[in-house]
Amino acid sequence: MTAFDYGLDVERAGPAEPLPTALRRRFEGRYAFDGFGLDPHLADLARPVVSTVVRVEVSGEEHVPAEGAAALVANRGFGIFEPAAIGVAVHRATGRRLRVVGAPNVPIVGSIFRRMGAISDSPRDLAVALRAGHLVAVPLAPTWLRTGAGTPPLPLMVAMTHARIIPVAVTPGGPLGTMVRPWRVRFGPLVTLPDPYDAGDPLTAARFAEALRDSVASLLREP
Amino acid sequence: MTRVLVTGMGGELGTRVAQLLEARPWASEIVGVDFVPPRRRLRRTEFRRIDPRDREKLAQFVETYAPNVIAHFGVYEPSSRMTPRSAIERTDLCTIATLSAAARTGQLEYVVLRSGLEVYGPRDAHASIPDEDVVPAPRTPYGVSLLDAEGVGAGLRTRSGTQVCALRYAPVLGSHVPSPLGRLLRLPAVPVPAFGDPPFSVLHPDDAALAMVRAIERRYDGPLNIVGPGAASPWQAARLGGRVPVPVLPPFWEAAARIVEIAGAAIAPHVVELMRHGRTGECDRAIDALGLTELRSTQEVLRELFDWAQIVPLATAREAVA
Repeated sequence: MTAFDYGLDVERAGPAEPLPTALRRRFEGRYAFDGFGLDPHLADLARPVVSTVVRVEVSGEEHVPAEGAAALVANRGFGIFEPAAIGVAVHRATGRRLRVVGAPNVPIVGSIFRRMGAISDSPRDLAVALRAGHLVAVPLAPTWLRTGAGTPPLPLMVAMTHARIIPVAVTPGGPLGTMVRPWRVRFGPLVTLPDPYDAGDPLTAARFAEALRDSVASLLREP
Repeated sequence: MTRVLVTGMGGELGTRVAQLLEARPWASEIVGVDFVPPRRRLRRTEFRRIDPRDREKLAQFVETYAPNVIAHFGVYEPSSRMTPRSAIERTDLCTIATLSAAARTGQLEYVVLRSGLEVYGPRDAHASIPDEDVVPAPRTPYGVSLLDAEGVGAGLRTRSGTQVCALRYAPVLGSHVPSPLGRLLRLPAVPVPAFGDPPFSVLHPDDAALAMVRAIERRYDGPLNIVGPGAASPWQAARLGGRVPVPVLPPFWEAAARIVEIAGAAIAPHVVELMRHGRTGECDRAIDALGLTELRSTQEVLRELFDWAQIVPLATAREAVA
């Protein structure tokens, strides 16, 4: 699945090219995709813009794996800027790309999100992305105006019990998600179950879901 | 010692598989059938020119030869070398006649047949990269015809316990492989979807042939996706070849297909489906099971496709010699 075409990597983020070089590359078609529709060249071009707009403060970087598959489970309020904030934080911590679950299934917008690395919210796609060794962000249910951790999506949980699961807490820099101050992104330690479990079993997934919600909630409570 | 029958040997893939088999001592006898002769010189392969539409002759020949292994390339892509209707008719006849005749001999041990990612139908939001466990739901005549061929294989497995492997190939593109997608991408102007630019993957003909030979050697039972790593998009592929992408709105694809046909590239519904919805598949299982570690990437295959278009015509070379 990993293709290294034209020096572009679907797993690690690359430097943004100067605009004239980048435009020539687009014109000549020397860029590639992965099966989900990620356009690494375009994503690299967009990164400086995104990280200027979405400023982040990161803690717990050491918990983000430098390679291999992992699911980053995060809270979200409205769910618009949180994935971008985690993406910027992950890039700062490891230089890796983040694949965010939940690309909308609508023509133009969906296609733009997919180009930036989003994947659909189907358990099958999540399982494929994890098998391919990607770092995938799985948002909990939106909490809208409340704070705290939302409900973990159970079908997705079943698809990720085989992978490493890392809790992430994202808090906005100002009230209602306004960006007065930088976003705070905190990565927590690996979520594990105390006793042996059968990966892929719905009951395991439910136990993981509970453990996850607790660990995201306690990360959120940290000062 | 194994007696191998290669159906559809007149095609690019059938000929390449025969070449690979010739280099393998375990293939004691190699026999091919098709309605057109092989595309390259073969040394120890015996070829019989039989049109699958002559069902009795084909069945009789297969029964007399009594193969142990069948490499079934008698699965024809519509608008590749023949009209959609005759491609599907030949696929049906060739599959049923060959497999049932071979089963009757009691000598048949293994069948590997050509199928395609077209069996999964249009790429949808729930399985962007289908693996072999995704339930096939073809929506195009070619997809249905591939699934029918797989069904004949599955029936054989149930009845006689023969191991059957279906190789679900991504579209096979190469400089001299007849393919409706290859022809479309090499037109001066290429129709692309106006909204969205869905990813698709393709496969190198050598990798397709190698996968089939490896399947025979390792006797893999079940379906396998064979896909070149990475993906391209219609717009990007057109630009890579220096072609002009022409955005087409959803209701006008039918008209675009007609215009393209007049321009010299007949495009079947499965090609329109690929351009509009993309097409890819997960290949991990095949990489493990068949040891396909060196698959050429989609972008490499596309570059090779377009490189060939720039080769200096032969006439110039001849003038230079004179």
